[in-house]
Amino acid sequence: MSFLFWLCAVIAILTGIGVVASRHPVHSVVGLIVNFSALAVLFLTLSGEFLAMIQIIIYAGAILVLFLFVIAILTAGNRAVESAPSRLEFQAVPSIVAGLAALTLLAAGIRETRPAAAITSPPPEGFGLVATFGRSLLTTNLFAFEVTGFVLLVAVIGVIVMAGRPAVRS
Amino acid sequence: MMTDTFAQTAPFTILFLPLLGMLVIAVVGPRVHRAASAAIANLAVLGAFALTVALALDVWHRPPSDQVLTVTYPPAWAAHQQFWAHIPPLTVSFELRIDGLSLAWMLIVTGVGFLIHLYSVGYMLDSRWYRTFFAYMNLFIFAMLLLVMAGNFLWLLVGWGGVGLASYLLIGFDMHRPAAVAAARKALIMNVIGDVGIMLAMFLLFAHFGSLSYKEIFANVTAAGTPALNWIGIWLLLGAVAKSAQLPLHTWLPDAMEGPTPVSALIHAATMVTAGVYLVARAHPIYDHAPAAAQAVAVVGCATAFFAATIGCVQYDIKRVLAYSTMSQIGYMVLAVGVGAYAAGTFHFITHAFFKALLFMAAGIIIHNLGGEQDIRNMGGLARRLPFAFWAFLVGTLALCGVFPFSGFFSKDAILDQLLVLHHPVLWAFGTATAALTAYYMFRLLFMTFFTGGFRGKAQTHAGTVASMSVPVALLIGLALVGGWIVVPGHDGLTPLLRAAFADTGTMAALDHFSGIVSLAALGAGLVGFVAAYLLYERPSGLRPTLRRSLQPVRNLLANAYYVDATYHWLFEVPVLTLASDIARYLDPEAVAGGAAAVARTATAAGDAVRLWEAGYVRRYGLSMLVGVVIVLALFLYLAGGTAALGGR
Amino acid sequence: MQIPPVADYLIVAAALFVVGVVGFLVRRNPITMLMAIELMWNAGNLAFAAFARSFGDMSGQVFVFIVITVAAAEAAIALAIVVMVFRRRRDADVDDISVMRG
Repeated sequence: MSFLFWLCAVIAILTGIGVVASRHPVHSVVGLIVNFSALAVLFLTLSGEFLAMIQIIIYAGAILVLFLFVIAILTAGNRAVESAPSRLEFQAVPSIVAGLAALTLLAAGIRETRPAAAITSPPPEGFGLVATFGRSLLTTNLFAFEVTGFVLLVAVIGVIVMAGRPAVRS
Repeated sequence: MMTDTFAQTAPFTILFLPLLGMLVIAVVGPRVHRAASAAIANLAVLGAFALTVALALDVWHRPPSDQVLTVTYPPAWAAHQQFWAHIPPLTVSFELRIDGLSLAWMLIVTGVGFLIHLYSVGYMLDSRWYRTFFAYMNLFIFAMLLLVMAGNFLWLLVGWGGVGLASYLLIGFDMHRPAAVAAARKALIMNVIGDVGIMLAMFLLFAHFGSLSYKEIFANVTAAGTPALNWIGIWLLLGAVAKSAQLPLHTWLPDAMEGPTPVSALIHAATMVTAGVYLVARAHPIYDHAPAAAQAVAVVGCATAFFAATIGCVQYDIKRVLAYSTMSQIGYMVLAVGVGAYAAGTFHFITHAFFKALLFMAAGIIIHNLGGEQDIRNMGGLARRLPFAFWAFLVGTLALCGVFPFSGFFSKDAILDQLLVLHHPVLWAFGTATAALTAYYMFRLLFMTFFTGGFRGKAQTHAGTVASMSVPVALLIGLALVGGWIVVPGHDGLTPLLRAAFADTGTMAALDHFSGIVSLAALGAGLVGFVAAYLLYERPSGLRPTLRRSLQPVRNLLANAYYVDATYHWLFEVPVLTLASDIARYLDPEAVAGGAAAVARTATAAGDAVRLWEAGYVRRYGLSMLVGVVIVLALFLYLAGGTAALGGR
Repeated sequence: MQIPPVADYLIVAAALFVVGVVGFLVRRNPITMLMAIELMWNAGNLAFAAFARSFGDMSGQVFVFIVITVAAAEAAIALAIVVMVFRRRRDADVDDISVMRG
């Protein structure tokens, strides 16, 4: 179990780095697919069967395909972005340094506040099953569920409005 | 009852008519013809004059015990008396005092003031700021009336400052000429020194009497000791010296001649500069009990009379000669009130207002016709070209020199006579010597302007003399001639009018004394001066160049007015300017500018640093956020005592 | 069944989140930046799931579901914007799209 966790964790972090480091967006998408898959395994170790499923189906399936479409439409035949040197001096190195500082502080905080005790107790009855998930979604968290639906509606309308506009070239 | 109502309301009407005139001109002036503005101003002053005459007749027909009116607003019989300032224990109401003294001044201010307003209608025709001029003139009349009608020292000071303001505005009336602006500023500063003096006197008065009202202070003036009264008198004298251009604060008056000639006639000859005389006369209960202060007043007046006359002997600007003459004559008045001859001082004020206004107006006609020329070296032979101005000037000169039977003879003799009556022989000697100097400089001026060969100036412009200028001059010729006849040997028509105002003074001698020795001495002195001027300027001889050479140092001294201006320059201006320039040269670039530059550099550097973060790029904002998160995290861990975790466990 | 402590999951989540943050700040290609944002979403999701398991409460998992939904909506809108930007200008660099800077 522990081996599976660390394997997936290392894969997730390495592919994450690959996502942000690769020059071509398509490589990033591939890295992201692997990353999401590793995360799905991590969800499984946490008794989140339904989560692992939607992670694969929605994220790796729907959203990343959307990314791939956009990349295919836009970057084909175009000059690669980021070929010119950045105009923002003093950005990359401070970002990395600040990011490492944040990570150090987060790790310190996690170690401080939550003792490194392994979870040994079994999960409650039906934890993470689709039936339990659906009941929780439609009873306890009904309002959040409805709001999420509304957010999706707004997003759909917004995308239609923006993409439906005739192209204007400057 | 009817007359009482009149006496209660007329003073306010008189006082506020000119102010109303000014306000009306200010509001509707730009919308009506400029002649309408002039008419409003003239009618306001004329109305005030007519009411003053009516009020004077009303007051002087009362029994002497009833001749001092105190008018307050709201009227004293009002159930709930409102005060203008109620700061316990000080209570100041709007209080006017009408008696012989203030009436004499009111009559001159409104009467001569009206004539000069009339004269200005023609004189100022070419001015771009015609309406403004009349608004200022009305403002001056209002302030001067407030000064002489005030019933307590607070309102006196308001009027005192008001005339200073009007004087400032009118001296600097040609505000495009730097000299005029500088002169106006100088006059204002000198006058403010005097205002401070009066304020100090007011503080002392309040400290000793708990009141500022004439009535309450003068009723128990002896309550304060002689030293206190001396100090009050000295501070009041400072105010009088500044306003009346007496030594040593006299230097603003010659410069004030930069103002238009009607202003010189009205403010700097007839009325405002005599305010110091009025102040001493008004405060006579104080000076009667403050011998040292009174002595100082007399000495200042006598010194000014003499020294101003000597300076006048070498001036070449026609208005400056008249200005020094004014200082000298006011010196006579101050001398008179200083020794306690209040009636004589007032008398000389009245006649002086007539003949000095006349002289200025005649000079104004000359200046007007010569296109602004004021230097008498560029005049000469004008008697034939401007005969009207000549006759007016001649009458004014004769009156000023005290020639019988012109008005100046009576008033000047009254003063000199009183000096001997009151046992001041030294002051009398100086006064008589001044009479000789007066005759000398006035006839020198007369000869150089109207005779002494032909016209020496350049092409002259004949502006002509319009009726509005010649009518008031003609009226003043008459007044300068007969104005003194109110007091003739055997009949004193003035003292009874003033008697009620000076009921509490013991030195109020009748003016019809006229000893022959005094008159003959004064006339003889005048004759000496006349002959000297005649020999030097009218008889071409070798005398004048010889004298000029031998007396060159004296001439230089006099032409520079005893270097008083230069002294003030070295005493006050140079240190301040040196300090300022040193600051500008050393302190400013190093400390101030350097500091400012350092601040600027710091700000620029800080701006550059901040600009990196606020560049308008979304990624930069993101980095800012991340740094913020790091800071908050570190702070949170530190506060949670998590620093140990940073070191690892 | 023994699973690693929650702290380990949280550290992995923190690492993923920081990778996403740094990627967002360093890259200029808007599509790559969006993917970095997806990494951050997922780091959050992992933390939610770990806590849900730790407390035995389904609410954490439900929130992961909601976050995925919102992330989908965000990705759709953001990509639409990117498409519009790319239509206007051929070589869209995020730093060039700074017309809204103050």
